[in-house]
Amino acid sequence: MARRKSQGRPGAPALPILLLLLLLAPVPSEAANTVSVEVGAVYASNEGRSMDPALGIIRGKLQSMFNYTSYRMLDRKRRALAIGETGEFELPGRRMMRATPLSTERNKVRLTIRISDGPRNLLTTTLGLSRGGMVLVGGPSHQAGVLILIISAE
Amino acid sequence: MDCRTAHAKIEEKADGFLPQDADGELSRHLSGCSACAAEDAAASATGPLLRALAGIRAKEKAPALDAMWTRVRAGIEEGREARMPPSWIARWAWIPAAVALAVLALLFYPTGTDRQPFHPTTFDVSVEDIESEAATVALVDKGEDLPRVIWIIEDGKT
Repeated sequence: MARRKSQGRPGAPALPILLLLLLLAPVPSEAANTVSVEVGAVYASNEGRSMDPALGIIRGKLQSMFNYTSYRMLDRKRRALAIGETGEFELPGRRMMRATPLSTERNKVRLTIRISDGPRNLLTTTLGLSRGGMVLVGGPSHQAGVLILIISAE
Repeated sequence: MDCRTAHAKIEEKADGFLPQDADGELSRHLSGCSACAAEDAAASATGPLLRALAGIRAKEKAPALDAMWTRVRAGIEEGREARMPPSWIARWAWIPAAVALAVLALLFYPTGTDRQPFHPTTFDVSVEDIESEAATVALVDKGEDLPRVIWIIEDGKT
């Protein structure tokens, strides 16, 4: 008597289809009027000689621009901000950075940055950044060195 | 061959382990020793008697064995019937489960902690205005292939 070929487990195709769903699923893209602001706080000093791999390709830029011997990423934060929305970023040393996207036009983002140390306003600036662009803000003292903030917008 | 050796050979013969070359020597002893001959005759008759007894027992147990195999076959058939093909609900139930897993994976996809290191695509930045109430600030531009730097000098420190 011919035997019916045994069927595999009913859920056997689940894994490849699940992977396909994951690949095809739309990655939550940032809306055109939303700006992803990212801040990395780097501690630069002359204590020892080290370079944090978390700094990626920025390592070479930092070494060519500054005379410090040690660079260490202390913190890294990202906020998705709508136009006019202010995002707060706590910085090492009880400092605070506030970023407010003012407008976006094509690939450009206008961004206001305010950095304060308690009641003292250390910096207020308005930048015009290309999406994927970056600017450095440095100088605030921290321990035996300084803080260098890597600010980018996408 | 003495009688003691002959008894050992008789037992080996009854068990079927006596070599052929030793059989002649045993036969010569048996022809001259009536006691050993009687022992050999008794031992030789035991084997067929045991086989006959086993056959009788097998015939007695045959109906019970048949009944047992019938029950075994019935059990196998019942097992086959129990493995009926799954209904269409069971067959496709994995799809909503897979969709739910995909949604969960998207919801909990790590976005914050394991990001790639900084990878700027451009250093093109314009500074519209810059000011400070508590420090001196300087704008440093070292070329297109380097990021612009805003340097804050607190309390006259450099």
